[in-house]
Amino acid sequence: MLKINNLKKKFIRMNEKKQKQEFYADNGISFKANDGEIVGVLGPNGAGKTTLLRMIAGILEPTEGTVDFDGLNYKENEIEIKKKIAYLSGNTKIYNTLSTYELLDMCCDFYDVPKSKRKARIEEISKTLGMDEFLYNKIERLSTGQTQKVNIARCMVHDPKYYILDEATSGLDIISSQIILNFIKEEKKKGKTILYSTHYMEEAENICDHVIMINKGVVIKEGTPDSIKKETKTTNLRDAFFALIGGEVDED
Amino acid sequence: MKTKISHILKKEIREMFRDKKSLSMMLIVPIMIPLLVIGMSALFEMQMNKPVTDYNRIGFAYELGEVEKDFAKEFELDVTTGNLEEIEEKYKDGFLDLYVTKENQEYTLHGDDNDTTSYASSLVESYFGAYKEYLQEEYLKEYEVDSGEVIHIIHINKEITEEENYFSSYITNYSFLFILMAITVSATYPSTDTTAGEKERGTLETLLTFPIRSKDIIIGKFLSVSLSSIITGIISLILMVISLIIAGNMFEIYEEVDMMLPANSLIFSSIVIIAYSLLISGLCIAVASKSKTFKEAQSALTPLTFISFFPGMIAFMINVESSTLLSLVPFLNFSLLFTDITNGTVDYINIFLMLLSTIVIIGIVLGIIIKQYKSEKVLFSK
Repeated sequence: MLKINNLKKKFIRMNEKKQKQEFYADNGISFKANDGEIVGVLGPNGAGKTTLLRMIAGILEPTEGTVDFDGLNYKENEIEIKKKIAYLSGNTKIYNTLSTYELLDMCCDFYDVPKSKRKARIEEISKTLGMDEFLYNKIERLSTGQTQKVNIARCMVHDPKYYILDEATSGLDIISSQIILNFIKEEKKKGKTILYSTHYMEEAENICDHVIMINKGVVIKEGTPDSIKKETKTTNLRDAFFALIGGEVDED
Repeated sequence: MKTKISHILKKEIREMFRDKKSLSMMLIVPIMIPLLVIGMSALFEMQMNKPVTDYNRIGFAYELGEVEKDFAKEFELDVTTGNLEEIEEKYKDGFLDLYVTKENQEYTLHGDDNDTTSYASSLVESYFGAYKEYLQEEYLKEYEVDSGEVIHIIHINKEITEEENYFSSYITNYSFLFILMAITVSATYPSTDTTAGEKERGTLETLLTFPIRSKDIIIGKFLSVSLSSIITGIISLILMVISLIIAGNMFEIYEEVDMMLPANSLIFSSIVIIAYSLLISGLCIAVASKSKTFKEAQSALTPLTFISFFPGMIAFMINVESSTLLSLVPFLNFSLLFTDITNGTVDYINIFLMLLSTIVIIGIVLGIIIKQYKSEKVLFSK
C-alpha cells in the first residue's frame, strides 16, 4: 500500500519586483493507494501534479510530509523503494544512442536483474509490447509510438509493484496514447498499483478506480469517479472539477 | 549494498565512445603535439641559422674610412652610404635593414622594432665593438702603452659544465604544458555532456528514478571523464616522445642531445598526467553539473580552462622552481613537476605532496557535487 501523508513542497520564485518569493507547489497532500488500484491524480496544468509524483518517485525531496511504500520510506529505504517502483512521465527521455535491447539490458543492470534471466525477460517484454521488429534498432531511429513502447518496456524490466505515471499520454497521438492505456489495464490485471496523473478528465474516468482532484497544491476532492460525480451532481469528472473549483482555474 | 558505479561507468563509456565529438576531443587534440614539437623546432632552427644576407644591408649617413670599410667587410656588412635623406629614403623603401648616423663621436643606430632589425642591430654592434677596440689600441699605441695590458687587463676563462641543450629543455617543457592543455580540453566536453548535456536531453530525470545512489552516479561519471582525459594525456605523451625523437634526428639544434626521455621520467610523467586528469575531470564535472544547458556549462568552464594552465605557463616563463610548499598548489604543482622531470631533478616528496593535494581536492569537490545532486536546484533549476 502507498500512503502519502501531508506532503508539501516549497519552491522559490521571483515576483514582478524581482524579489524572491516562497510558494508551495503542493501544500499538505495526503491520500492512500491500495494494492491493485489505479489511482488518478487529476488537476489542471500547474496544480502540483508533477511535483507530487516526482516526490513520490523519489526524484524530489519533500519539504514536509512522508511517502510510505509498504512501510518503507525514502530516508531509510530509498534503493529498496526505487526497486519497487517505475516512473514514466510524458516527457521522459531515454538514451537515444542505445538500441532498445541495450537500453533494457542497462536497466536490468540498474535493477539487479540476474544475467541468466535477462534475455528471457527482455524477449518476453518485447513480445508483449510488440517490439521484436525494432529490438536491435537504435532508439533515435524509432517513431514516437515505438519510443513510447520502449519507455514502457523500461518500466517493466524489474516487474515493479507500483507504477507512477505522470501525464504519460500528454502530447501523444491517439495510437501512442492507446498503447499506454492498454498497458495500464494489463498491469492492473496483474495486481499492480498505478498512480496516474492527467489533466484529461475523460481518460481518468475510464480507467481509474479512485481519483484525487488537486488544485493550487491542495486536494479538493477524493473518491471514486462515480461518488465524485454523485456528490457534485454532475455527469462527468470534468464538470465535477469545475463545480468544485467554482469555475476558477489558476495555471501559475 | 552492491555498488552501481561500474554500471554507470559502463553506460558513460558506451555513450562517450559512440559520440563523435567526445571521441574527436579525446583523440584529435593530442595530434597537435607533433605539430608543436616539429613546428617550434623548425622555427628555432630557422632563427639560429638565419643567413647574414637576410639582415646585413646597413646604411651609413656618413662616409666610411678605409679601416671602417675593412671592418665592414670582415663583418659581412652590405654597406650603403649617402646623406641622411637618401639613407632614410632607402630604409623606408625597404632597401636597408638598419642605418647609422654619426655626430662627432656619437653613433646612433636607427631601425624599426622588428625581427630583422634586431639581428641587424646585433651585427652592427659587433662591428662597432671591433672598431672601438681598434681605435683604443691605436690610441694607446700613440702614447706607447701596451694595449694588451690595458684592454685585456683581466682574462676570463670558462670552465662550466656543458649545460643541457636550451632548445631541447624548452621544447620538452612546452610539450608538457601542451599535454596539460590537451587534457583540459579533453575533459571539458565529456564532463559537459555527461552533466548539463544529460540534464538538457532530459535523461537525468530518468537516471534518477533508477535505484542508484547519487554518489554512485557522480563517481561513475567522474571516472568516465577521467578515463577520457587519461587516454588523451597518455596518447599525448606517446606522441610527444615520438615527436622529440624525430625532431632530434631532423634538426641540427638538437645535435648530440639524446631527445628520448629516460624510463623514470616517463613513469613520473604518467603519474602527473593521471593526477592532473583526475583533478581537472572532478573540477569540470563540479562546474558543469551546476549548469542547466550544455551551452551554459561550456561558458562556465571557460575560466577554468584558463585557470588550469595559466599558473604553469607563468611559472615556466619566470622560471619558478619547485618546492614542498608549491607542490601543494593545484595546477602550479603539475607544471613545476614537469619542469623537474625535464631537468631530471624530481623530488619524491614533491610527487607525494602533489598526489596528496590532488586527492584532497578531488575528495572535497566530489563531496560537494554528490550533495548537490540531491538538490532540485541542480536537477530542475529553471
